[in-house]
Amino acid sequence: MKSFRIQVNDESYTVSLEQSGRGRYQATLDGIIFDAEITSNGDITSWRVSNGSEDVHAKAMNLPNDRVDVWLACMPFPATVQTVGIGGYHVPTESRAKSVGGEIRALMPGRITSILVKEEEDVIEGAPLLILEAMKMQNEITSPSNGKVKTIFVHEGETVKKDSVLVSIE
Amino acid sequence: MKLFIANRGEIALRIIRTCRRLGVRTVLAYSEADRESLPMRYADERYPLNGSMPAETYLNVSKLAQGAVETRCDAVHPGYGFLSEDPRFVEECEGNGLTFVGPSSRTLAKLGNKLQARSVMKECGVPLIPGSDGPLGSEDEAVELATRIGFPVIIKAVYGGGGRGMRIAKDADEVMRFFRLTRLEAASAFGRGDIYIEKRLAAPRHIEIQAVADRRGKIVSLGERECSIQRRHQKLVEEAPSVALDADLRKKLTDVALKGLRASDYTNAGTVEFLVDRNREFYFLEVNKRLQVEHLVTELTTRVDIVEEQLNVAAGDSLSISQNEVEVVGWAINCRINAEDPRRGFIPTPGTVIHYHPPTGPGVRIDAALYSGCAIPEYYDSLIAKLATRGTTRDETIRRMRVALEETEIIGVPTTVPLHVELMRDDSFVSGEFDTTFLDGFVPHLNSRIATYAKLAAVVAAVEKARSPKSWGIERHRKQSTWRAAARTRAITGS
Repeated sequence: MKSFRIQVNDESYTVSLEQSGRGRYQATLDGIIFDAEITSNGDITSWRVSNGSEDVHAKAMNLPNDRVDVWLACMPFPATVQTVGIGGYHVPTESRAKSVGGEIRALMPGRITSILVKEEEDVIEGAPLLILEAMKMQNEITSPSNGKVKTIFVHEGETVKKDSVLVSIE
Repeated sequence: MKLFIANRGEIALRIIRTCRRLGVRTVLAYSEADRESLPMRYADERYPLNGSMPAETYLNVSKLAQGAVETRCDAVHPGYGFLSEDPRFVEECEGNGLTFVGPSSRTLAKLGNKLQARSVMKECGVPLIPGSDGPLGSEDEAVELATRIGFPVIIKAVYGGGGRGMRIAKDADEVMRFFRLTRLEAASAFGRGDIYIEKRLAAPRHIEIQAVADRRGKIVSLGERECSIQRRHQKLVEEAPSVALDADLRKKLTDVALKGLRASDYTNAGTVEFLVDRNREFYFLEVNKRLQVEHLVTELTTRVDIVEEQLNVAAGDSLSISQNEVEVVGWAINCRINAEDPRRGFIPTPGTVIHYHPPTGPGVRIDAALYSGCAIPEYYDSLIAKLATRGTTRDETIRRMRVALEETEIIGVPTTVPLHVELMRDDSFVSGEFDTTFLDGFVPHLNSRIATYAKLAAVVAAVEKARSPKSWGIERHRKQSTWRAAARTRAITGS
């Protein structure tokens, strides 16, 4: 029996596994037993997972280090997997959590259509900072907290990539 | 006829499919971002628009009309969105001797924007939702009117369409804020920033009548569609017929819809949208003067190819069908699959689809322009696929949808599929008891579905890491390429 510590969507799960046949495994998570069976093998693996109430197809991509990208119902569930060792868990080789601090980043690529604040301006939580247009939608980017606008890194009309820093708040 | 297609993605492909069947030659306008899109493979000719931003491509009136003239087309199909309801584009086409596949500029002069449509319908005796008679000049004017008719109100773009350019305001503060945002969005998406206000009704259903009319005075209703499953005025699920109509109410809606369209000398495909409240009172909402996204559910229940009828009308021919030949058979449901992340407030998620496997089988139709490796550009709408099923009963149609959703494989961009999975299992949806506010309360259900998926994903992640590469028989079998094996056999046998 092997045990793994899995991180998905900022939640941690402990999964223990037992191979039950060729390409077949029995997994236990929170006391619930799941049967997993590989249904096709390639760059992307197909799995069928079931327990009493759920029966789903999933796709998985085994990535370097401790990462696995899982897709279920056309939605991504990026996971990190650590084998549970003696005396505790392995330290993850890469943390997927993003520490953004007071930086506001673009959640999606798009274009800055207007900037609603100035540097040094005091803002309250939820105050609109700028408008990011993506896929025809005007998205109001708001301040995550009370504070002062430190630096504005973009200008009106600029096209920004996903995750690029837009504004810093202190 | 040679047809210029001033649109992209799945709807461009949808139009091309009918044209290929009918032997109509097509020219597809394309932006740089769409150079490798699926419809590019099937259009007879392609016309480059240079650039990728909507304003310089699919919203560029003169560039598109010029393209149609240069490629010697007779007609222009605008699809939906973009310039499909823009009177300037219709005039530009007509001025260049091109037939616009849609209503004429004469009709648009009467029905061109949402405010004009309100006054036409009012004259035909159709009840209107309380609101503006003309465009609002300023935030202050908007606040004044909103206070008079009562909150909440909906701020709408006069030239808007497709649910874009609309926001609900609960108080005067929100009117001030959203007025400016909606105006910006409208100016960018529809080319004009005019704004008006309507009162927001409590929990109505959205029901619309699809019609087609030719230039010889024949007008035919193709029945209703129920489109109450909406998020921020974006329809997500549509069906035909509607559980909320009986024969009497259906006849009333159909009669006033056709009357309104006749009063504006309407030609080509058009839809009259209504809100129907709990007391079965109905109010005029809008006229959609184009082929709609959800037209496929009507095609599935009536067996009419609406694009073909549009082309008949554009060619000056009569409709190929009469009212007494239209029969609504069975049920159809459409799920809009958008590249949006349900975990992050449905933000659009452009990117690359690295793997695509569409569902199929009896009663399944998918309208999409996807292939493994295709790009979802950030410049355009997030709709990437329409999955529709058809059945004898609504229940059978829902069951078929569940199966089809399970078979759908789209990997690379997050999508709205989990929402549809949960919706198709939801008791209220299945029993037909819902209205346009239904999805607002649905997020907890969706979150619990996603939490269930996260657990299953954890199991998959573990088995994927744990499995040995040789754990399955197919691996060894695959090591030798079948093409290489065939080549070797051919070399040995000389065949």
